[in-house]
Amino acid sequence: MHSYDAVVIGAGNAGLTAATALQREGSKTLLLERHNIPGGCATSFVRGQFEFEVALHQLSGLGTPDKPFIMRKVFDSLGVLDKVEFVQEHSLYRLAVPGEIDVTLPASWSGLKRTLIELFPAEQAGIEAFLKLCETICLESFMTLPQARRAGSEDMLKKMCPHYVKYGFMSAKSVVDEHFQDPKLKSLISAYWLYLGVPPGEIPFPDLAVMIYAYAAFKPWHIKGGSQAMSNALVESFLEAGGEVRFNCGAEKILTDNGAVSGVQLETGEVVKCRTVVSNASPLMTFNELLDGQQPPLPVQQDFKSRRMGTSAFVIYLGLDCTPQELGITAASSFVYQTLSDEALYQRMGSLEAPLGGMLTCYNFEEPEAAPPGKSQVVLVCLQYGDVWNSVAPEDYAKTKYAFAEQLIDVIEQVYPKVRDYIEEVEVATPLTMMRYLNTPSGAIYGFRQSTEDSALLRERLDGVPGLYLASAWTGMGGFQPTYMAGESTARAALKYIKAQHTEVAHV
Amino acid sequence: MSDNNLLNAVAGFRDAMAAKDALAQTGSDFTEVKGAVAKTISQLHPKRLALTVTQIVEDTPSTKTLRVAASDSRLLPPFQAGQYINVFVQINGVETARPYAVASSPCERRYYDLTIKRAQGGFVSHHLLDAVQVGDSLQSSGPMGSFHHNPVFHGDDLVFLAGGSGSVPARSMLLNILHNDLPFNFQLIYANSFVDDVIYADELRQLASEHANFRLDEIISRPPAGFTGRSGRLTGEVLRELLGEQLDGKMFYICGPTPFNNNCLEQLLALGVKRRRIRIEANGAPKSPDQQAGWPQGVSLDDEVTISVRGKGSFTAKVGEPLLNSLERNGYGAENACRSGECSLCRIKLLSGAVFNPTEAHLRKSDRDFGWIYSCVAFPTEDIEILL
Repeated sequence: MHSYDAVVIGAGNAGLTAATALQREGSKTLLLERHNIPGGCATSFVRGQFEFEVALHQLSGLGTPDKPFIMRKVFDSLGVLDKVEFVQEHSLYRLAVPGEIDVTLPASWSGLKRTLIELFPAEQAGIEAFLKLCETICLESFMTLPQARRAGSEDMLKKMCPHYVKYGFMSAKSVVDEHFQDPKLKSLISAYWLYLGVPPGEIPFPDLAVMIYAYAAFKPWHIKGGSQAMSNALVESFLEAGGEVRFNCGAEKILTDNGAVSGVQLETGEVVKCRTVVSNASPLMTFNELLDGQQPPLPVQQDFKSRRMGTSAFVIYLGLDCTPQELGITAASSFVYQTLSDEALYQRMGSLEAPLGGMLTCYNFEEPEAAPPGKSQVVLVCLQYGDVWNSVAPEDYAKTKYAFAEQLIDVIEQVYPKVRDYIEEVEVATPLTMMRYLNTPSGAIYGFRQSTEDSALLRERLDGVPGLYLASAWTGMGGFQPTYMAGESTARAALKYIKAQHTEVAHV
Repeated sequence: MSDNNLLNAVAGFRDAMAAKDALAQTGSDFTEVKGAVAKTISQLHPKRLALTVTQIVEDTPSTKTLRVAASDSRLLPPFQAGQYINVFVQINGVETARPYAVASSPCERRYYDLTIKRAQGGFVSHHLLDAVQVGDSLQSSGPMGSFHHNPVFHGDDLVFLAGGSGSVPARSMLLNILHNDLPFNFQLIYANSFVDDVIYADELRQLASEHANFRLDEIISRPPAGFTGRSGRLTGEVLRELLGEQLDGKMFYICGPTPFNNNCLEQLLALGVKRRRIRIEANGAPKSPDQQAGWPQGVSLDDEVTISVRGKGSFTAKVGEPLLNSLERNGYGAENACRSGECSLCRIKLLSGAVFNPTEAHLRKSDRDFGWIYSCVAFPTEDIEILL
């Protein structure tokens, strides 16, 4: 029987960074992936002359080579910084609501302020105060709040995190409302809520603040060759360090002995020994289906009860036989809405009725190699809660999928009217596609619904089975930076456990 | 959490905690959705189908149609007309597979019809035609592939150019249109070598006479003496005559042997059809990769090379044999479906040595960069080591 220090279940972002960190620190690691390719969401596929980015719209946390931010350090420590090339986006996004507003915000902290003040001069004071608050709340959230918590001192908390104390658990909407009058400005500044799928009234303000500040100050990025290049680079680094990977091979069971992890049964029936498992599968799958025989520990069951299922996505991958200029693209990322009401937009995310808004990303706008010469790689997205797809009969699935795709293209064509004329390749992905490739209930792409009640600050870590660790969007924030970081930090916790086990063995 | 008390000082924290606890009062531990993901996915995209052959019909001297049903008698997964399943077989101890387009209508889910033509020098087609009997079990992938009508941009004016058994997906598309009364025009330009080897000949002619929106144009390349029908090759002139002047808005599907496909593509482009209006079905690994640009000088298809599988063993293979085939013949294997360089399931890592990736290999950029190859269309041009 093969024996490993650790088995990592799933080669999504967190699984990849966890496996790479474990192996590079000397733990003998087996990485399992059900599919034929690493990445989970962080992947690409080829149709005709096009290679489509599946999920990465804007990578955060990288900073520039001159002003590097945390992700460069993380990628460097994983041995992949020199294996990939990053492409900077120069705009945050274009927000177009026909008849209401059409504005492109620059990816620059000073430029953002300037642009907003130019557009809304009457709100200058509010804009300055709001942006300052975004910056401060980020610094407090990531620097002084952890210090104060470690010290356990309320005094320190109040002194070092005064803004967090006031705003940390306020909703994004209430802070926006406190600073701004004009509904267009409110929509414009809150647009990133569409990345989360939960409206501004239900997300904590720091979640919005950190996106605005991080993208504007540290820039949004793409990866040459798409997020697949990073997934492949991580596998390369993992293999170089001596790791073992098996594709087309899922985990069937996590085996335990006296309540602690003792091994993993593979899809092939083979059993491998290990005392540590890092599961990149959802905690629901991990505890309710993979864990052998036993009920999840009570606190885990209790935690599940306070969760709600998160959003999935409906995505159209378009290979277009025209240039970005011919399409009228002026920024890589656009949000196109039919209404300024985020509540109305959000309500539609739970239905198969025509969406009221969507996103368009043109990958070759800033990176010409992302499409063949003279052509464009364009991806349309609207977030959608997956449950409505569960009631679609299998024989109606294709029809329903294409009908909804037409509706999303209709929305986007109000601003980019020529999309349909130039289609050379198209692939449509629904929440069931996400379910197929991510193995998540309802095709959730970010784990549980990321409302205020989902905050990690309100929750214990999901443990209770010694040796079992979870690393994914389900136990923290969703998205690329958070999941890359979740895997790396989970590996550090797992390494301590592995080390303690080795010490124990040595003493016996 | 140990510092709950501390965070109580944050405005709104208590409320959020109370809201979370309220959710727990009405929420579920999700055990009721146990198995739901696997069930939903297996209805649409099963990894394997257990099939039983329920009927075999001899279509022409070279061709039979195998009707297969789910061994558990359930309905088979839905598919889009034009898609294929990959049929797994074991022949003389060798485990291999071949993709076959479904010939029957997607409206019929009690069975799939697989029309199989004897391939020259074939391995699997001979087995399916000669050895398989009614009642036998087969295994396959679920339905796959992107060679199908896509309502988002294909439109309603469809032309299918089929060569030989390339008519199989055309039949499924046609039946789908007729069964569902879709408002499409469907023209099938159907090229065959011999008059007695035209698959579905009677059925197609009958349907064409009954349905105004289905037009059938046949052409025979090797006509017998006295043949009065259309004969010869599909030249640009013939195509112009069959298609008429108005080509805008039409969507073209091409499926047949590789030389047929290449010829049709060339002629359509010459007639001014945009490349984006032409869909070509994948066709397996190229027979003559050495004719493609980039083939290394001095390497012949008959040369022998050593294939080492790290940690498992090694064997000798011919340069001209696709790597997946030689792996299978030597007791190895990789998951696979299209066997034509498109689906990427047979992706494996090349550790050392070189392979030739033909134009059929639709590799991702970063797979190329990091040495991942599609074994179904990779040709080892020197000794190689791979990771399985």
